[in-house]
Amino acid sequence: MDDLLKIRGLKINFYLGTQVITAVDGFDLDIGRGEVVVLAGESGSGKTVSALAITRILPRNARVVDGSIIFDGQDLLGLDIRQLRAIRGKDISYVFQEPSSYLNPVYTVGDQIMEAIRLHQNKTKQEAYAQTLKLLEAVKIADPARVAFSYPHQMSGGMNQRAFIAMSLASRPQLLIADEPTTALDVTIESEILQLLLTLKDTLGFSLLFITHNLTIARRIADRVAVMYQGKIVETAPVESIFTDPKHFHTKELISAYEQIGRI
Amino acid sequence: MNKTLIIGVVIIGFFTLIALLAPFLSSYKPSDMDQTHMLMAPSAKHLLGTDSLGRDILSRMMYGARISLTIGLIAVGIATILGLILGSLAGFYGGFIDSLIMRFTDIMLCFPTFFLLLAAVAFLESSIFNIMVIIGLTSWMGPARLIRGEILSLKEREFIQAERALGASHFRIIAVHLIPNALGPVLVNATLGIAAAILLESGLSFLGLGVQPPVPSWGNILIESKSTLGIAWWITLYPGLAILLTILGFNFIAEGLKQKIGGF
Amino acid sequence: MENILEVKNICKDFKVEGGALMREAGVVHALTNVSFTVKEFDSVGIAGESGSGKTTLAKIILKLILPTRGEIIFNEQLIRNLRKDVQIIFQNPYNSLNPKMRVYDAIAEPLVIHAIIPRKKIKERVCDLLQMVGLQQKMSARFPAEFSGGQRQRICIARALACEPRLLVLDEPLSSLDLIIQSQLLDLFLALKEKLKLTYVLISHNLAVIKNITHSVVVMQQGEIVENEPTTEIFSHPRHLYTQKLLAAARE
Repeated sequence: MDDLLKIRGLKINFYLGTQVITAVDGFDLDIGRGEVVVLAGESGSGKTVSALAITRILPRNARVVDGSIIFDGQDLLGLDIRQLRAIRGKDISYVFQEPSSYLNPVYTVGDQIMEAIRLHQNKTKQEAYAQTLKLLEAVKIADPARVAFSYPHQMSGGMNQRAFIAMSLASRPQLLIADEPTTALDVTIESEILQLLLTLKDTLGFSLLFITHNLTIARRIADRVAVMYQGKIVETAPVESIFTDPKHFHTKELISAYEQIGRI
Repeated sequence: MNKTLIIGVVIIGFFTLIALLAPFLSSYKPSDMDQTHMLMAPSAKHLLGTDSLGRDILSRMMYGARISLTIGLIAVGIATILGLILGSLAGFYGGFIDSLIMRFTDIMLCFPTFFLLLAAVAFLESSIFNIMVIIGLTSWMGPARLIRGEILSLKEREFIQAERALGASHFRIIAVHLIPNALGPVLVNATLGIAAAILLESGLSFLGLGVQPPVPSWGNILIESKSTLGIAWWITLYPGLAILLTILGFNFIAEGLKQKIGGF
Repeated sequence: MENILEVKNICKDFKVEGGALMREAGVVHALTNVSFTVKEFDSVGIAGESGSGKTTLAKIILKLILPTRGEIIFNEQLIRNLRKDVQIIFQNPYNSLNPKMRVYDAIAEPLVIHAIIPRKKIKERVCDLLQMVGLQQKMSARFPAEFSGGQRQRICIARALACEPRLLVLDEPLSSLDLIIQSQLLDLFLALKEKLKLTYVLISHNLAVIKNITHSVVVMQQGEIVENEPTTEIFSHPRHLYTQKLLAAARE
């Protein structure tokens, strides 16, 4: 497969006063075009930091100190902040865990989606509004016009997450990075959002990097699964074989815990 | 420890040490008059000069530090303990008890503290003991409101629910579990309170209602300098400076503690 | 087997205040006519999504809040002292321990409050309890902040067990923990139940956890019971549409 993203030897340090803590070391990952890769691991294994490092939206005290991130032929680590900004939100978008805290409470959902559109596309307000409605429709929101004029607190968690996905997809990204986007939601809503992401992926043709600790989700949506443990990717395998034939001891541990309490 | 805290502790430590060691450090008794050396400018014999009765300013200020700091500490102790009791009762029980205590607090807050003090001192003998008690009794409202707020948010935490489920008595929940967790901000507030109490005492002394001569306090040394200000600047400058530095010191400690605790 | 707990027609309404004058703006029915029984040594699961009133029900069972209507009836032979014989484990172990209290004091506290054993024996008992939940003795001098989520939950369990309870209410005890830790704690709960002859009321949104521990399941939706059947029955022949939907979502 033609790789959209190729990460090699990624190393990320945190600087706490005089202390240096290596959060990620030995992160290798490939994502093909149109592929769904699930990054699985326990809390604190370094999943989120690695994902944020791709477009360098890391916390202030963290820095990428080694490795290469080749996206669509260019090394993102070699770009300056201005060039990166042109990629953030346009070619690579994020969806986060708590939609209601990632949406700004003082603006309507429509305003925020329009902002995302006009940041990267040269459009008038009218054009942007029209596109906002289309996007809201695409994420299966029944009443786009009403939702566009709603504030985040007026909507449920599931609706907010749909709106956030619409916002992330505003500029037709090639890569969508979803960090535990359904963890805060109820199981029935979770199921709907996952289905939505898969459908959108097929129609819009982006690649999906999905971060989760939930192996049920991995089983359902992944083409390949990468398992992260103590800052390293310890195993990457197609979804079929990771459940039947886990190689690394931590993967085995995870799968057996999953067999006990992740499945019915 | 951060810089602000260290500076504060050094200043207050310096004055406390002087207050404690006053009898050993001073070369004159604070009330010893010397008719031959009245209104002497600072010299090798009298480092900070003498006043209109020929008393050594340095010695008077050393003993004055004892009075001023004691008044500050004890008054704030009384205010904080009262505030802790009333605030935690109001916050923990809520409802009628809360309304009763908080309305009383509001009423007390309606009177400017200084005039309340003046009125009380006018009826009572202005002994050091009375002044400490009166300052304490008129400045518990701030701590009470602060503690009530802390308790209100703490009592919803699960560990308090867990205590109730465990059968802990109300007294135990308040004294062992709520108050220790609310103490941080209270400590900061108390430190500021000491500064305020010292200032209050100085103000009272300045109006002639504070600590009565010949017992020296920084405030009444200052008032005695009033008539000779034009010819003996040192009697005004040094006690004024001492008050200023002490208040600055306590404010530094409070600010430093606040940074250490993480603000509130 | 005898009933240890009977939940009878419990209703709970919350008043919603609003507007400038804090007038009553409306009433939320958190629980409506909830009834079920728990037999001694059984485990009953309470399943449902967030907002279904599960946690409110737990607090009402523990009499931490009062129901608007209805009754909680304990078997007086088995439950003599509610605050000792019935204990609860909360969802968030980061929030359910006093951050200013050492682990030793936290576990010793119930022993002191209920005077369960002579003071001289407290130290020994705390060590036993720590061991029982799989923690080391030397950890007892530390503060909660020095422990991971899983370890904190073990401390909470040790505290609850110090009371020598008969009925343990587990309110989403695993949902804030990592998968491997969840599985270890699940095993701990199963082992403790055998060893100490406990009765569990397990509240969870995770049907797999419920399936592992319980004998029967109460399915709740928006404050009402929609189904109450033996566990095997619920998982093999779910009757109510909502139960079917929950199962389908979990199985996909």
